[in-house]
Amino acid sequence: MLGWEFPPLINGGLGIACLGLGRALAKHVDLTFILPQTDPAFMVDQVNLIGLNHLSERELECMQKTDELRSFAEVELIAADLQPYVEAELVAREKMSTDGQTFSKYDRWSEDTGLAMFSKKGALYGEDVNARVVAYARASAALAETKDFDIIHAHDWMTFLAGMEIKARTGKPLVLHVHSLSYDRAGPEARGWIFDIEKLAMEAADLVIPVSHYTGTICTGHYGIEASKVCPVHNGADPVEAYRTEKPFPEKLVLFLGRVTGQKGPRFFLEIASKVLKEDRNVRFVMAGTGERLRELIEYGAFRDVGDRLHFTGFLNREKVNELLSMTDVYCMPSVSEPFGLSALEAVQFDIPAVISKQSGVAEVLTKARKADYWDVDLLAQHIIDLISDEKAHAKAVAASKEDQQNCTWERAAERVTDLYEERFPVSVF
Amino acid sequence: MPDLCLYFQAHQPNRLKPYTFFDIGKDPFYEDDELNRDILSGVSERCYLPANDLFTDLIEQNPGKVKLTLSLSGVFLEQLEHHRPDVLASFQDLVATGSVELLCETYYHSLSYRASGEEFVRQVEKQKAMLKRLFDFEPTIFRHTELIYFNELAAFVEEMGFKAQLAEGVERVLKGRSPNHLYRAPNVTEIKTVLRNNTLSDDVAFRFADPNWNGYPLTPEKYAKWVSESGGEVAGIFLDYETIGEHIHRDQGVFDFWKGLPAALDEADIAMTTPSEVVEKFKVKDEYDCHEITSWADTSKDLSAWKSNPMQEEAKAKILSLEKAVKSHDNPELLHQWSKMQTSDHFYYMCTKGGADGEVHAHFSPYDSPYDAYLCFMNALSDLQVRVGA
Repeated sequence: MLGWEFPPLINGGLGIACLGLGRALAKHVDLTFILPQTDPAFMVDQVNLIGLNHLSERELECMQKTDELRSFAEVELIAADLQPYVEAELVAREKMSTDGQTFSKYDRWSEDTGLAMFSKKGALYGEDVNARVVAYARASAALAETKDFDIIHAHDWMTFLAGMEIKARTGKPLVLHVHSLSYDRAGPEARGWIFDIEKLAMEAADLVIPVSHYTGTICTGHYGIEASKVCPVHNGADPVEAYRTEKPFPEKLVLFLGRVTGQKGPRFFLEIASKVLKEDRNVRFVMAGTGERLRELIEYGAFRDVGDRLHFTGFLNREKVNELLSMTDVYCMPSVSEPFGLSALEAVQFDIPAVISKQSGVAEVLTKARKADYWDVDLLAQHIIDLISDEKAHAKAVAASKEDQQNCTWERAAERVTDLYEERFPVSVF
Repeated sequence: MPDLCLYFQAHQPNRLKPYTFFDIGKDPFYEDDELNRDILSGVSERCYLPANDLFTDLIEQNPGKVKLTLSLSGVFLEQLEHHRPDVLASFQDLVATGSVELLCETYYHSLSYRASGEEFVRQVEKQKAMLKRLFDFEPTIFRHTELIYFNELAAFVEEMGFKAQLAEGVERVLKGRSPNHLYRAPNVTEIKTVLRNNTLSDDVAFRFADPNWNGYPLTPEKYAKWVSESGGEVAGIFLDYETIGEHIHRDQGVFDFWKGLPAALDEADIAMTTPSEVVEKFKVKDEYDCHEITSWADTSKDLSAWKSNPMQEEAKAKILSLEKAVKSHDNPELLHQWSKMQTSDHFYYMCTKGGADGEVHAHFSPYDSPYDAYLCFMNALSDLQVRVGA
């Protein structure tokens, strides 16, 4: 498996999903996980974790066979099968640039493409993420050649390049696990390097596993990937230690949890809050998280005159998130595009009913949760009003979602992935 | 030859601590006592104590000649009483010279008036009682927070028995006339308006230490000459006391300037005076018809420092809207807490202006951004709402 984020170094949704799936899958297959960074103190039962941060440039050179090394050097930056694409991008940039700085971004790659990029803990994104992606592809391809394996399984675009390179070198089948797409993060209009990698990789892949049917429709519809190789597998949710605490104020509490970016629909949450407060002042709304839309929303909340009922907490650590969940009455996730939405399942474990947008994967799992299109703030607001004003409805919603949530385990996800392996790649021996 | 009316404002707000959502309903204390104490002490050492000593000496050396006007906000005096009684004593010594006039203002350095006349009167009366208790002084001249002024307020202040109100000499109201005269609002009978000479005041308050300014370096002699050439009956030099030693540092020569000024003024035959003397001595020259609300803040001289974005509007409206609920509790501590949240500085920190004004706002703010200031205030406000049941 090729992964990017992984606990305990990065605890984002991707890392948690990779850990959850990996741990469960290791009961069915021999699993090696190549990651940019690992913490040597953190071990997962039956999973062989390889962190590039613990690999020296020299060890890597020893692994590389001479001819492959040359082929890599020929293209300098990137695997051969991607070369035309890079050229196209360079040409496009050259056209746009008039100040002679055309190649600056690519020059930097050649300076930095080394394992040193992974030495700083937690630094996996940022300006030079592209260079890291290439460095990761180089190193993991070299590593892969020293290993005996049957299937390449790559998680999200950062590892797709590596996946393609390994497939090109070894001919092994490529499985892409899609946790989120450029479509989700940057909107349907987004194009560029990431979109192109995603599209190219999915086209080259033998099997694409999106985390929901919803995301599957994006793969087939938006990216034009052949539907027969797109097979969704829902994420699981690890049991969390849930508890309830007394709210220190009399009002009900409605929670939004996530990055304050367009994809998560924070603006819709604000509109919903404003609508609910017109009906019932005895509600507090909390937006927990940070992001580039935060300041704009803070000021917009003031404009809508809800600043004393809509609270922004900024980024919260897990402990604080749990504290917040323990007193929340309704969880609201009005995401514009949410491949899965694990947090809604976590909320259910805290006995919180979720009001979620139909544009989320978790809506397929929480079959009885109240849903609406993300733009239908009237209906989403009505759902919230129903849940906070009717205790019976609230209890019923919790019970129904609990049942759904309990069916949602990583074991199930791993079984489904194993079935897909066996079904699609029958020559492999497990 | 105009007289020189020198008035200093001293004020320190009760800054809020980083009050989060998780504190609502749990923590009834909103202020950052440590920060407020540290700032008060720092400014005391750099400004209040040495400046008080300087002016006390100058008054004693030039009896009857050196005269000073001070306005000390109630919340500032309260902080001094609590944290730095020695500094309060030094203010008391200064006032005891008999050459210092104290102005009246709203105790909480608030923006109140429009929202509630009752609350405005309460805060003014509270300030009067404070001045009586600490200085045995009964003020007859009024200034509102940051020199906020408009016709309607002048009439209201007259009703309260004040002889004059201080105001910024705003060019768009003066329309070419000099600020160095005594004016009167069109809708009052007796109360006079003493205007701030914007240029001469900002020379010593802002431009003094700017080496790129063509008046740099400013000497007492040069300044006395400018005052003598400014015409009219009285030049109102109104500025923050903290410009001495705090905003302008000692090594930039600010103490030497003020120390040398009385002699230079004397040399130039300029008398120092106080607002109540001005009111007795001079007649009203013309009408100052100020419909819009003006102040001495920022370049626009209006309320925009506290009222130019939705965060400021909401925060201010919501804190004032709690008046009835707070007062219904008949709890002096709660009332005091609520009142302290009316202090203008809270809204000043929420200002999102850019440019030179924005830099000044950021300089004074204890927060990383206006958004943090707003969130912290609204969380504390929410707790107050919970406590008063609003």
